[in-house]
Amino acid sequence: MKISPPRWADRFLEWYCHPELLEEIQGDAYELYDRAAKKSKRKADLLFIWNVVRFFRLRNIKKSTLSFSTPNPDMLRNYIKVAVRNLYQYKYFSLLNVFGLAIGMSVSLLLIALVSYVNTYDNFHVNKDNIYTIVSERTEGVEQLDYATAPVLLAEKLAENPAVQKVVRIRAGFSEEIKHAQGNLPMSGYYVEPNFLHVFTYTVTQGNASAALTKPNTIVLTESAAMRIFNSTDVLGKIVELEQGGLFEIGAVMKDHPINSHLKFEALVSYATIPEPAESTHDQWMHYDREYVYFLLREGGDIKRIQTELNRIAQNIYVDLPIKATFETQHLSDITMGPDYRQAIGPKWEMSGMIAFAVIAVLILLPACFNYTNISIARALKRAKEIGLRKTMGGLHYQIFSQFIIETVVISLFALSVGVLIFLLARSEFQSMLVAASSLDLSLTPKTFLWFVLFAMGTGLVAGIFPALYFGGLNPIQALKNKIHGRSSAMRIRKVLTVFQFALSFGFILALVVFSRQYHYSIGFNFGFNKTNVINIPLQDAQPERVLAEFSPLAAVQSVTFASDVLGLNYTTTWVKNQSNDSLEVSQVFVDHKYIPAFGLTLLAGNNFPDETWQRERFIIVNEEFLKAYQIAYPADAVGRTFEVEGNLLEVIGVVKNFHYAPLRFPIDKFFFRQHPNRYAFAHLNVQSPDPHLLVSQLENKWKDIGEQKFEARFFEDDLYESYSMYQTLLKIIGFLGLLAITISMLGMLGMVIFTSETRAKEVSIRKVMGATVYGLTFLLSKDYLKLMLLAILIGAPVTATVFSLVIPHIQYYSVTMSLWDVLLSTLLLVSMGLATIASQTIKTALTNPAETLRSE
Amino acid sequence: MGELEELVLLTVGILYPEAYGVAVMDEIEKQAGRSLNISAVHSVLTRLEEKGLLKSKMSDPTEERGGRRKRIFLLTAAGKRALEEANELRTQLFNQIPKIALQFRLA
Repeated sequence: MKISPPRWADRFLEWYCHPELLEEIQGDAYELYDRAAKKSKRKADLLFIWNVVRFFRLRNIKKSTLSFSTPNPDMLRNYIKVAVRNLYQYKYFSLLNVFGLAIGMSVSLLLIALVSYVNTYDNFHVNKDNIYTIVSERTEGVEQLDYATAPVLLAEKLAENPAVQKVVRIRAGFSEEIKHAQGNLPMSGYYVEPNFLHVFTYTVTQGNASAALTKPNTIVLTESAAMRIFNSTDVLGKIVELEQGGLFEIGAVMKDHPINSHLKFEALVSYATIPEPAESTHDQWMHYDREYVYFLLREGGDIKRIQTELNRIAQNIYVDLPIKATFETQHLSDITMGPDYRQAIGPKWEMSGMIAFAVIAVLILLPACFNYTNISIARALKRAKEIGLRKTMGGLHYQIFSQFIIETVVISLFALSVGVLIFLLARSEFQSMLVAASSLDLSLTPKTFLWFVLFAMGTGLVAGIFPALYFGGLNPIQALKNKIHGRSSAMRIRKVLTVFQFALSFGFILALVVFSRQYHYSIGFNFGFNKTNVINIPLQDAQPERVLAEFSPLAAVQSVTFASDVLGLNYTTTWVKNQSNDSLEVSQVFVDHKYIPAFGLTLLAGNNFPDETWQRERFIIVNEEFLKAYQIAYPADAVGRTFEVEGNLLEVIGVVKNFHYAPLRFPIDKFFFRQHPNRYAFAHLNVQSPDPHLLVSQLENKWKDIGEQKFEARFFEDDLYESYSMYQTLLKIIGFLGLLAITISMLGMLGMVIFTSETRAKEVSIRKVMGATVYGLTFLLSKDYLKLMLLAILIGAPVTATVFSLVIPHIQYYSVTMSLWDVLLSTLLLVSMGLATIASQTIKTALTNPAETLRSE
Repeated sequence: MGELEELVLLTVGILYPEAYGVAVMDEIEKQAGRSLNISAVHSVLTRLEEKGLLKSKMSDPTEERGGRRKRIFLLTAAGKRALEEANELRTQLFNQIPKIALQFRLA
């Protein structure tokens, strides 16, 4: 056996050494090595490495091949021409590649459009670089929460700071109805200080807004709001009257703010309108709901100084207070796509959501790139002659490399045009799924388009790098002799890629199966109360007595009952004090005495609320969890006990069996029914009618005598189902992504199968001549892919199961568990789709008349 | 011309017509007892060639180096003259040393 020096050192020498000097240097190094190796291989190795290192001198190093960055324009033209010809010649594969990459890119395009739009948020403010807001971290007991709000008292302190040019206080939550001849008009906006328009850039078209905002009861309307109310924008000095009372003079009119403004308002009301706070300053420091402080940093001011100032203020103020808070400055550009704060004033695009979206986009994109990689390497044989010739004519490694990279980029640019088409089709649907859709504009701007093109080129690079390296490294002699065998490493990578793709597709199918089961599980869930034939009517301003008087005479209406919230959807919470003064948080719904029988709830002990005229609140009806919390073993023991709720002593009059008062997202917890007519917000009608639509229109007629607002009635079941419509959205998203993933993997497999069938055509024909059956041949050609698919399922199933067991309980407390049947069903779906894809080609090949393929030789 | 360069140049002359990197290195070790790294020998040889004192050609491939050829170095006329000059200078200087200075006795 011939011994040889360490391969890596030899390669290193070959890599750096100037080609003209390589032969003698390598020769000398080898000669010395062989001589030394006669004594000791190890010493010889060390000597060789030492020599290689010592030869690494400037004189011996080859001239840099960085001319790579400037390929000859003629060659570039040639590469593109060859790329286009190849695309044209192998239409099948080109179509597969272009289509696959386009699908893969579509999700990423949505992401790019989204991110590039979100990045334009608030870029229209002239002072955008120097605008900051103050966010707070509020600690109450053990609860520590991040808020986008800050006490307005901070504004006064900040105004004294020389680095701060202007401070503006904003109070959100101006949400009123404006009196109008044709019914009231809702209007929302902020209370702001006059500085608002000095800090932010919004265009005032009429009047002097800053002056107007100094006076109380003055309002600045946007043009669209003015049009809505007065049907004109020429409204300066007019008066609007609020439903709640209060007259406001219109002090100025301004253009609507751009969509990409994180502050969203139809009207600005002068801050002076807010009455002087009655609470003590301590309370104002502790409770600052919907209060925001923005400030403009002086040019050249140091934001760090302000931060230290804020830290100092927080330390001084909260030293004796039960609630602690710390403040932090946040730059305008970090507001929209930043951390998730409570009570954020504008629409938020949380970083975490974006990252999740990006992960999904990559999960869809990568398989598409893999397809390209797979198909290209598999088809190396077809291109081998060309590469061999190029190399023989002096084409260097990097030139072949760049040729293939350029070719892939050309393909991905084609794919981009198809991808943009998919993008345009999916855009509106995508937008409708987003919560803050109205504050988003996904139209194709030149800038987004530029990003698209850059992204497509990047995709081409990723997809093409592996084939390009592979082709670049081909040995020209073997290539010309058509003797390339897939390197085993290349084969292995291809298999790994395919398995990954199928595992991903399998995961999507499984998700689809489990979530659709979850949806049906949720809407078919037994909540423990009667939900059929019940109509919910929001009372709005109507008097419960009037509703009862008008609706109960109807023949179809069996009972009318009132409640503060709709069971299974909503509830409120309150604090209950025991004798020992411990407080417990308990969920509650206010109902009347007919409620429990009407909903078919079971009383375990005690009685229903008494049927008598309500004078003051006296009773509660608690559930079993409530008993557990107070360690009352038997329901009967609870009856007659009293609890202090909001300062009143209430007596337990009955115990109701546990039922799902909350959405299925939450477990059943401590709960009681209370009685208080002022809290009723819904009327529930138990109805028995052959024609529900007729009934609803009857009710609507009656409603006209009761209230002024629009009549809204819905069947309880519909309300309930609608609250689980997020599953439909989820199913739609998973379905869409799954469709993409599956299409991509099927396209990839189709490409591979077409290729194998082509290359193995002769083998198949010979087998056929020798007596193989069509069935046997089909199986022969398909079995490799089947194996890969099954392997993918073996890997995908446990991974998906783990992800689900982590995710589903967060979505919903009462949920289905993934079963073997789900896995089997998904397997069946994936394998049957895969088989259909494979069979479309393999059967054709197996059926070919052997004479057709064999006669050419 | 440095001392090492002169040494290498002389060795190339000695080894004529088989002077190449490894042989030069071995010869210097044998004759002068100086152990040099092969890369140092290479750089001296290249330097001498650039100065025009040596010329080189590639040999026929040999089995022992895995079919690789050697670069054989030969003295040029200039190289030969440089050696002669150096040698002459030395002899000339040596002859000028007073005889007495060279007569050592055991003290």
